[in-house]
Amino acid sequence: MNGQFSTRVITLMPVAIAINIVLGVTVQQVLKLPIYLDSIGTILVGVLAGPLAGALTGILSNLIWQYAPGIGGGTIGPFAVTAGVIGLLAGLWGQLGVYRSRPASGTSLWLPTVIAVAIILFLASRIYGNPAYNDPAYFVSWYSTAIVLVAVVVSVAVVAWVVVKRDAAGAWVALAGAVTGIVAAIVSAPISAYVFGGVTGGGTDVIVAALRQGGSDVLNASLGQGFFSDPIDKVITSFVVFIIIASVSPRLLARFPNGERLTATAA
Amino acid sequence: MIDAHRPGVVPGFVLRPPTGSYHALNPSTKLVLAFAEAAVAFGVRGWTGPLVVIAIVIATATAARVGRSLVPFALAVIPLVASILLVNTFLFPGATDVIARIGPLAPTWTGLEAALQATLRVAAFALSVAVFALTTPTDDLLADLERRGLGRRGVFVIGAAIGMIPRMVERASEITDSQRARGLDTEGSRWRRIRGVVPLAAPMIIGALSEVEERTMALEARAFSAPGRRTILRPLPDSAWQRIVRWVAGLGAIILVAASVAGLLPVP
Amino acid sequence: MRDARYAYAGTSRQVLAGVDLDVEAGRVVAVVGPNEAGKSTLCLVAAGLAPIAIGGRLEGSVLLAGDETAGLAAYQAAQRCGILFQNPATQLSGTTSTVWEEIAFGPRNLGLDIGAIVERVEGAMATLDIAGLADRDPQRLSGGQAQLVALASVLALRPSLLVLDEPTSQLDPAGTRLVGDALGRFAADNGTAVLLVEHKTGLVARIADEVAVLVGGRIVEHGPTAEILRDPALAEHGVDPPPAVRIERAVAAAGRSGDLAGLDLAALEVDPIAGAPRPTGAPLPTGARA
Repeated sequence: MNGQFSTRVITLMPVAIAINIVLGVTVQQVLKLPIYLDSIGTILVGVLAGPLAGALTGILSNLIWQYAPGIGGGTIGPFAVTAGVIGLLAGLWGQLGVYRSRPASGTSLWLPTVIAVAIILFLASRIYGNPAYNDPAYFVSWYSTAIVLVAVVVSVAVVAWVVVKRDAAGAWVALAGAVTGIVAAIVSAPISAYVFGGVTGGGTDVIVAALRQGGSDVLNASLGQGFFSDPIDKVITSFVVFIIIASVSPRLLARFPNGERLTATAA
Repeated sequence: MIDAHRPGVVPGFVLRPPTGSYHALNPSTKLVLAFAEAAVAFGVRGWTGPLVVIAIVIATATAARVGRSLVPFALAVIPLVASILLVNTFLFPGATDVIARIGPLAPTWTGLEAALQATLRVAAFALSVAVFALTTPTDDLLADLERRGLGRRGVFVIGAAIGMIPRMVERASEITDSQRARGLDTEGSRWRRIRGVVPLAAPMIIGALSEVEERTMALEARAFSAPGRRTILRPLPDSAWQRIVRWVAGLGAIILVAASVAGLLPVP
Repeated sequence: MRDARYAYAGTSRQVLAGVDLDVEAGRVVAVVGPNEAGKSTLCLVAAGLAPIAIGGRLEGSVLLAGDETAGLAAYQAAQRCGILFQNPATQLSGTTSTVWEEIAFGPRNLGLDIGAIVERVEGAMATLDIAGLADRDPQRLSGGQAQLVALASVLALRPSLLVLDEPTSQLDPAGTRLVGDALGRFAADNGTAVLLVEHKTGLVARIADEVAVLVGGRIVEHGPTAEILRDPALAEHGVDPPPAVRIERAVAAAGRSGDLAGLDLAALEVDPIAGAPRPTGAPLPTGARA
């Protein structure tokens, strides 16, 4: 049984789904933090086994979280779409070799970092500079500042990581995480706004309320909250996945469908 | 000890036939109903959709004698409902029909209406999930889905994931306990608890992943990758009228949602 | 196996560097050796899981019931050779709610008809004497019980060879005793060929007919159990002799110096299989002279 759904992948998926749910419940419902941390398993499977496996892991995580007796409840079910998209993207990044360790120094270390930081700041400025988001009738000024602050903090963290670990992959992982987060926010906002009236009962509702306070409409408030929480969440998650993969021996990694693209090749 | 175990046949504790008229329905029927109810609750805008679903749910819950057990599920959505009501009533953008001015706050009728509708949708959804969860054991559902073509791999992924969660929660509390014994603060301020997540998450994830290799070997050693269909131990009854109900519910839900989205549905 | 050589995928070092080993029906062959000798790899190769399920390069000849493992799919190898690992928790599928269904997992995968499945499940339970556990939840068993259930679920495929990779190493003393006893009965009554990899030489002494010593990917010694386990050179290979042998040597050493008072009495209280203190009042193991 080869291909994307080998027995090994079939064994990995339930573990990943369980990780998603247990961490997600802990972070969102017990700790009530304004991040999700329920996609570590999804991104891990996507990177190791490909887009389809990743997407399925995400979708099943949400459906099981919603419908399984004993666990079921809450409102996570309809966001299965977002989870599927996250898994797909993770598979894409995996196949592009984003998660491959790239020890480097000198220019080959700085160049990707600078590029990644530049792109992150560029995306942040698009959110910041979009007139719809800057109109005082729609968004409070603190939001724009917050977005820029988030982007700067992420950039600094990425640079620090790359310098400390001398691993240029950190830059690409952060970029992949940021992009995934932005896409996730865009996909989730309509679901949140139209299905649930814009709130989800978790720690992120505070942000939604604050944005509405500033005058944003339902969709844009959800979108704004997403742009705040999702990129951070996905960058953190992507780094966690990267660290995990880097600590697994190449011998074991090679047994996964995408394994070869994850092991550093000489020079 | 095994009481009713006669040698040579599949024992009763394995067959586990469901009892009760609603419970005894084929799991796929209950699943289709749950999805149809969810679709109508969210897809049909306005008051009618959610209210109809709530009525159906309460009727089926009574028929299945699980009415009382719905209460915890209903209570579980209260935080979300509170959030919906507060945020939407007080902070609905663009609404001007103020109910009353209470200091700096200006709740609006439009906001309240939107909030109540959202609340009904959430309640209808939550209750339909609850009825499904209360009347459909996971084993039954997976066995039936496998019979219909989901395949042993899909069934394994879902079944193993559900089974693994309680063990992981146990392991999480073991990790927390051992860290508390080593002096790590697990209660207390929010910042402390955030910092407590990493030392909790890391060993849990790494521990779970380290088992993947051996689990794979164990599955292969039990011929998991053999071709063909697995033998069915527990045939679950189905009937022609249930098949009709499934089709009607499924197609009906799709049509209703489409009509509502297209603006063709003349109900409040 | 004839001249079996194996290297894991992505590495060039041959973990097995030419192994010749035969296990015949009804015989129990034990493999001992220092850590990193390749014992676990030997198990995977013998069971046909390497290279089929994990990649890697296998050279030489490995036959299961007459067929080369390289040509067998994993599920075909599983029907000729069963394998049991250390950790009972990872070997249970986690998808069944009763032990009966867990044991039926393998036969179901093969698509056997219900009558055959019932027969095999009952047979496996009878062999290991665990019929009393049939309606229990597999996740709620003790380590030793879970390991027996895992063994039963493998035996349900009726393999002609059984490979055991340190089956008691993660069990507490009670579990070790339970599994050790069951294996002892199984080995005595059954026609299955058994390959046992173990650190606990006490268990080896009890149930094995032959012992092979694996060092650095090669078999350096191979002979009848009593002979190999008494060989003083065993310690050089990093293998502890079984308690019975240690007791013998201790008594002999004390007797030679005439100083029986210096005899380590604590050693006499050792349970020969679990290595843990044995309950007082239980009979001494055979082979020890007190």
